[in-house]
Amino acid sequence: MSQNRQYELVYIVAPEATEQEVADLHTQIEQIIQRFNGTLDKTENWGRRRLAYEIGHHREGTYVVETITGSGELMKEIDRRLRVIDAVIRHLTVRVDEDLRVAERLRDERKATQARRRVARGLPPEPSPSERRGEAHEDQDEDRIGLEGAEVQR
Amino acid sequence: MSDERGGRGGRGAKSADKGKGEGRPRGGFFRRRRVCKFCADKIDYINYKDVRLLTPFIPERGKIQPRRISGTCAKHQRALQTAISRARQLALIPYVTD
Repeated sequence: MSQNRQYELVYIVAPEATEQEVADLHTQIEQIIQRFNGTLDKTENWGRRRLAYEIGHHREGTYVVETITGSGELMKEIDRRLRVIDAVIRHLTVRVDEDLRVAERLRDERKATQARRRVARGLPPEPSPSERRGEAHEDQDEDRIGLEGAEVQR
Repeated sequence: MSDERGGRGGRGAKSADKGKGEGRPRGGFFRRRRVCKFCADKIDYINYKDVRLLTPFIPERGKIQPRRISGTCAKHQRALQTAISRARQLALIPYVTD
């Protein structure tokens, strides 16, 4: 019925919370995921970070990033829960599967184009590490122009 | 008649001059030809959690740098815009700095 999609959930826990509380929160979310037949793909704890601006008089916060595969209802429930919990000062859910798919497609397309062009030039499809330097020659061009500019300044 | 031709020639020369000096305005200050950073570095997905990727596009004031200055292409500027707003919500990047 409901499709499985990949989401990224980031939440910021208040700095007063102990590590135990952060861990508890994590298990709580895990339980919700299990209840909705979702899967927790990855968890990243960034630890304590300075906030760019104050959120409810807090200047710091513990960032936790979770990658979750599940339904929209699951995310809705998590969102509702996180709203209620006071220790979580900010949270954000982003659906990532489509963006990642697009990025992957672009990467594959670029690789295919590169391979096709290289074959047309009579080269092996994959560039060898020693050829990599050739790609940097545009930069050199720019540097030269930059030097000319410097001369004008004088 | 000849006057007109001369005028036209002048105009032509003028526009040619303009074309030449476009990258180098008066005052001797030269701006490097702008290239979209994301196209050049082949970044397909602008990750909102990657602060180091985003900060070059946020000047001191905290606003998003316009395309005409950063040289980002339209497609990537759009993606950058969403990435920056997400990073702002997560307090990774300020909304404003005074």
